[in-house]
Amino acid sequence: MANLSTTYLGLELKNPFIVGSSGLTATYEGIARLAKNGAAAVVLKSIFEEEIQMEFREALKNQLGPQDNNLDFLDYLDYQIKADVLSKTTELIRRVKADFDLKVIASIHCRSVGEWFAYAAKLQEAGADALELNIYRLPSSLEVSAAEIAEGNERIVEKVMKHVRIPVSVKMSAYTTDVAYTAQRYAQLGVKGLVLFNRFYQPDIDLENNRVVGGQVYSNPNDYTWPLRWVSILSPKVALDLAASNGVHTADTALKMLVAGAAAIQVVSSVYKNGPDYLLDLQHGLDRWMDKKGLQDMAALRAYGRAMMPENPELFERVQFMKYFGEV
Amino acid sequence: MDNRADYLKAERSAEWREALRKTMKNKERTAQLRVHMPEAPAQERARSYVEVNSGLTAPIAMKEASRCIDCPDPTCISGCPVNINIPKFVKNIERGEFLEAARTLKETNALPAVCGRVCPQEKQCEANCFYTIKLNAEPVAIGYLERFAADYEQNSGAISIPEVAPANGMKIAVVGSGPAGLAFAGDMAKLGYEVHILEALHEIGGVLKYGIPEFRLPNKMVDVEIESLRKMGVQFETNFIVGKTATIDDLREEGFKGFFVSSGAGLPRFMNIPGENLVGILSSNEYLTRVNLMGASRQGMDTPVMRGKRVAVIGGGNTAMDSVRTALRLGAEKATIIYRRSLEEMPARVEEVKHAQEEGVEFLTLNNPIEYLGDDKGKVKQIRLQKMELGEPDASGRRSPQPVEGSEYLIDADTVVVSVGVSPNPLIPQSLPDLKVSRWGTIEVDPETLQSSIPDIFAGGDIVRGGATVILAMGDGRKAAAGMHQHLQNAR
Repeated sequence: MANLSTTYLGLELKNPFIVGSSGLTATYEGIARLAKNGAAAVVLKSIFEEEIQMEFREALKNQLGPQDNNLDFLDYLDYQIKADVLSKTTELIRRVKADFDLKVIASIHCRSVGEWFAYAAKLQEAGADALELNIYRLPSSLEVSAAEIAEGNERIVEKVMKHVRIPVSVKMSAYTTDVAYTAQRYAQLGVKGLVLFNRFYQPDIDLENNRVVGGQVYSNPNDYTWPLRWVSILSPKVALDLAASNGVHTADTALKMLVAGAAAIQVVSSVYKNGPDYLLDLQHGLDRWMDKKGLQDMAALRAYGRAMMPENPELFERVQFMKYFGEV
Repeated sequence: MDNRADYLKAERSAEWREALRKTMKNKERTAQLRVHMPEAPAQERARSYVEVNSGLTAPIAMKEASRCIDCPDPTCISGCPVNINIPKFVKNIERGEFLEAARTLKETNALPAVCGRVCPQEKQCEANCFYTIKLNAEPVAIGYLERFAADYEQNSGAISIPEVAPANGMKIAVVGSGPAGLAFAGDMAKLGYEVHILEALHEIGGVLKYGIPEFRLPNKMVDVEIESLRKMGVQFETNFIVGKTATIDDLREEGFKGFFVSSGAGLPRFMNIPGENLVGILSSNEYLTRVNLMGASRQGMDTPVMRGKRVAVIGGGNTAMDSVRTALRLGAEKATIIYRRSLEEMPARVEEVKHAQEEGVEFLTLNNPIEYLGDDKGKVKQIRLQKMELGEPDASGRRSPQPVEGSEYLIDADTVVVSVGVSPNPLIPQSLPDLKVSRWGTIEVDPETLQSSIPDIFAGGDIVRGGATVILAMGDGRKAAAGMHQHLQNAR
C-alpha cells in the first residue's frame, strides 16, 4: 500500500484530499462525517462579507422601530453580526481541532481591505492551521481597471500576511488576466499556496417563471482541464503549493493533478453527489494506481510526473487548435 | 381606542378650553415664531457640568403654548409612546395653570421632567404636530413645555402624587430601575400592588443615572421623580442582582406573584478590531458610568477615569455625543467624534449634535477605525482610520458606508471611547433556561401584553427592544403593567 501523505502549505496531510469550503464543512457534524472517511483537511465554510451585509440589511428592515427610535442600537449591528459569525467559527475550529485528526483551514471571503484582515488573526488564535483567502469580486465596475483590481487584491494579501503567522493560501479566479504573474506576486508577498480555481455562483434565467435563479451548482467532471493546465504551467515556475480544485470527480482526475505537480486536491461536488464515504473511494483509487505503477509515496509520484512532463512543456501553454482538430 | 378618542373630545369641549381658543385667532397663533431654548454659553458649559438647556420662563412658556391651535384631531398624541394628552397640558400652560399641566402629564407619564429633557420629540410628538404636517413650519415646542411644567411643579414644592388604589395584597418584583421599571412600578402601585424594585447598582434610576450626563439630565431631577414613586408606596432595594443575589425561584418562594424584567442593555459592544484591548480604550458604558455614577470627575475618588488630552469617540448616537462632551468636561484638549457615515445619517438627536459642535467637538465623519496602535507600555497612541464613502441607501433609508480603498491614515489619540451600541443584559436570561430569547439576547414577549414565555414574567425596555428611547421604554412599562394586571386578575 502506497504512502499517501503529502505536504501542503507546510502542513503534513495524511493524504492529498481536502474538502473545500462549502456547506459540507459548515458544521461540526458535517466535518465529523468527513473526518470519519479520511479527509486530510477541511477548508471551513467561508465567512462571507456579503452575507454579513445582507443580514445587516435584513435586521435593519425588520427591527427598526417607529421613528427610527432604536437606530442607536442598530447603527453598528453589522459588527455584532460579524462578532457572532466569528465566534461561531472560532468555536467550530476549537472543537474540530480537539476531536478530529485533520487539518483545519479557515476561509475568509472578502472584497475590500476594511477591517477584514483582523479576522484572520482571530481565526489563527482559535487554532486554524492555515488560512485560505477568497478575494474575488466580479469586475463589473466601469471605472475600475484590471491593474487597480490586482493592486487591491495585493493590499488585502499584504494586510493579512502582516497579522498572521499561519500559512496563507489564495483561492484564485480562473478569469484572472495574468495568472502566472499574480501567482508570482503572491509568492513574493509570502503566500504559501494557491487554490486553482474558484467556482462561482452562476445565476441563470428561468424562462418559464420569468425570474433569475441560481444556475448549475456542482462542477462537471470535465471542468478539470483548466485547473490541470495551470497546475502544469505553474508548478515548475513558482514556489507555491498548488491545490487543484474544480472538476476533480474521480481518482484518475486527482492523479492527473498530482502528476502535473499539485500538492493537494480540493473536492466538494463529488462528495456532495456521492456522500462523504466517496473520500475513501478516492483514496483507494489513488492507492491502486500508485501500486500498479510501483510508486511508494507522493515523492515518487511527483518524480514520476516531473519525468513525464518536461518532454512537452509547451503543450499546456498552447491555446489555439492546430490544423487538424484534436491534433496537439 | 374609541374611548380614548371620546375622552379627548370631551376634554377638548371643557368650558375653559373653548374659552381659551376664542382668546386668539388661529392666524395670530400660527403667525408666532417658535421659542428658542435658552442655553448656557458654549465656552463656559463645555468645561463644567452646568445643565446646557436652562429651561423656559413662565411668560415665554405661555407664549409658546399659545401657538398650539388645540386641534380637533390632535395628531401630536399619536407620536407619543405614552399617549400624553398633549393639548390639555399645553393649554393649561397657556392659561397659567402650570400645576394642572404637570398633573396632566403625570396621568400617563411617570417621569415628565426626564422626558422633557431627553425625549427625541423632533421624531415623535413634534414630528406629528399640525405645524410640521400641514404648515411645514416649526412645531410647537412640546418638549420644552413638558419640561417647563414638570420643573415648575418640582420647584413649587407642591408635587402631586397620583392616587393609589387600596392594597390588594399582591407582591410584584421589578428587575432594574430604569425608565421601563419606574413606569411599570408607578402604574402597578396605582392599581394597589405592593411593588418592589430590585436594582443591581447602588443607585436607583438605571440608564437615567449611569448613562445620561449631569449636563443633560441632572440626577436631582431623577431623584424627585423617584421620590414620588416612593410616596406612592413603591419599595426600592439596591445592590440586588436578580439571578445572583436571589433567583426568580427564591423570590417566588418569598411570595412574589409577578416579575417585570427591565434590566436594560448594559453590555457594551466592541468592533473586534486589532488593538482594541490596549490601555486607554474603553466602552462608553464604562466611561459614562465612572463619571455619572461613581463621581470619577471629582478629584480623590476611588474610581477614577482616563482623562485623555486627545480623546476619540467612535460612534454617532446619543451615547457617543454624551461621551465626547464628557471628555471635554474632563479636560480633553481635543475631543473627536469618529463616525463612518455622514452627519446627516447620525442617530443622535439634532440638538445633541448641535450642542457638541458649539462646544468645540471635532467631527470626523465618513471615517472608520480599523486598527489601534499602542506604545511600548501597551497604551493606545494612534488610530488607523479608513475613509468611507456613501453607497446605496439601506433599509433605514440612510446611505450605507463603503470603505475607500487605499485611504488609510493615522491620527493620534490617548483615549478612545467605543460607543457602537450595547447588547441586552444577559444575567436574567442566563439564570432562566426556559426563558425564550432572540439571537441577540433580547427577551421574546407577546407584543400586546409583554408577557414572556414564562407566564409570571413580563419584560420591556431595552432587554426586549435591544435599544430604545426613554419614552418607549416607559411605554413598555405601562403596557406590561396593564398586561400583568390582567394576567393576575384572570388567575384569581
